[in-house]
Amino acid sequence: MRIFFLTVAALAVMAATAFAAGKQVKYLGIHPIAKANGGGFCYIEGPHVHLYAADKVQYRDHRGYQHFVGDPVAYGYDGPKHVYKGHHPIHVDVVVGDSEPDTEFCYLDGPHYHYFAPPEGPEFKVAGGAYFFVAEPPKAYVEARPVMIEINAIYRPLVYVRPVVTVDAPIGWIGARAEFAAPVVVAPVVGVDARVVVPVPSVRVNIGVGIGVPGVIIHDHRHGRGHGHGKHKKWK
Amino acid sequence: MRWTLVMVLAAAAAAAAPLGCGKEEGKDGGKPGAPSAGSRDVVLEAWRKGGLAPSPFAATTVAFAKDCQGGTVNNVDVLICELPSEAEAKAAEDPGLAWVGDATGISRAAGKLLIAAADRRKADPSGKTLNQLTKLLAPSK
Repeated sequence: MRIFFLTVAALAVMAATAFAAGKQVKYLGIHPIAKANGGGFCYIEGPHVHLYAADKVQYRDHRGYQHFVGDPVAYGYDGPKHVYKGHHPIHVDVVVGDSEPDTEFCYLDGPHYHYFAPPEGPEFKVAGGAYFFVAEPPKAYVEARPVMIEINAIYRPLVYVRPVVTVDAPIGWIGARAEFAAPVVVAPVVGVDARVVVPVPSVRVNIGVGIGVPGVIIHDHRHGRGHGHGKHKKWK
Repeated sequence: MRWTLVMVLAAAAAAAAPLGCGKEEGKDGGKPGAPSAGSRDVVLEAWRKGGLAPSPFAATTVAFAKDCQGGTVNNVDVLICELPSEAEAKAAEDPGLAWVGDATGISRAAGKLLIAAADRRKADPSGKTLNQLTKLLAPSK
């Protein structure tokens, strides 16, 4: 009889665990909260759980945890941020501070923010306070890009204060290399001020931005523009 | 008779230590492998110093640990359990998530402690309280 009760109790615990595990989604790091789930921004930096799923576009799986790799400012994030321009790797293990190597790739076109800076090294150059990826991208980046770059559609309609980078890109910047240029797409610009910012998913734009500009201007201004992300595991 | 009493007390102490019966809060012996009695108070004090407002914590019963106390911090439910070893505390993280249940929450080992927190009343929509609960544990990571 006693064994029967112990067995029932054990099954109840297992069932409860399975129920919770089935509904919970593990996250690692800060991330936006979809409007359907209340909206706003989650500032929990460490591992945590929510009851809603992460989308497959702006999140990458890291050890079973969802890690946000988008532009947090687009969702109201108010904290330290760093300016990047164009596509670049994200060393998730460095961002979250663990030992399991995991390098993803960001497919955001044009200037955007992340809440993390890249690790020091030769693959990034800084110009005017913005990070430019100047190293050789992995094959996986190139292969996945045609699909991943479509992700820009998510950010295109978002209106928020974005960085504007008008500076000559460093030599070797991925955005100025014809072999990595995206198909020319002229996307509509949703502006809330009078300035026109040419959509970035364009070879012409990437080459043209900053040419002849002697200085560096990074300033905020409102407009709509596309951004996107993709995923590549452990290519470093 | 006196020796018998001494032997009984010694045996009782030896039996209690590996079980992590950390009721003697504030008396951390510091020996490797010994229960970190008082570490729960250290955590609570760290939270207070960090600007959080823990309620009084009281003994509570959960299936995965014997020595647990529950309370709230800034209206977020918090469970602090002391496990016999760091490995067992780490292993308790998943059961801790089961305790979180249908809520946003955390479950994290810090030394021999397992700290789980669940925002069941949606008192922390931005997660800033949960983040502080976690970050203030960093020294024990």
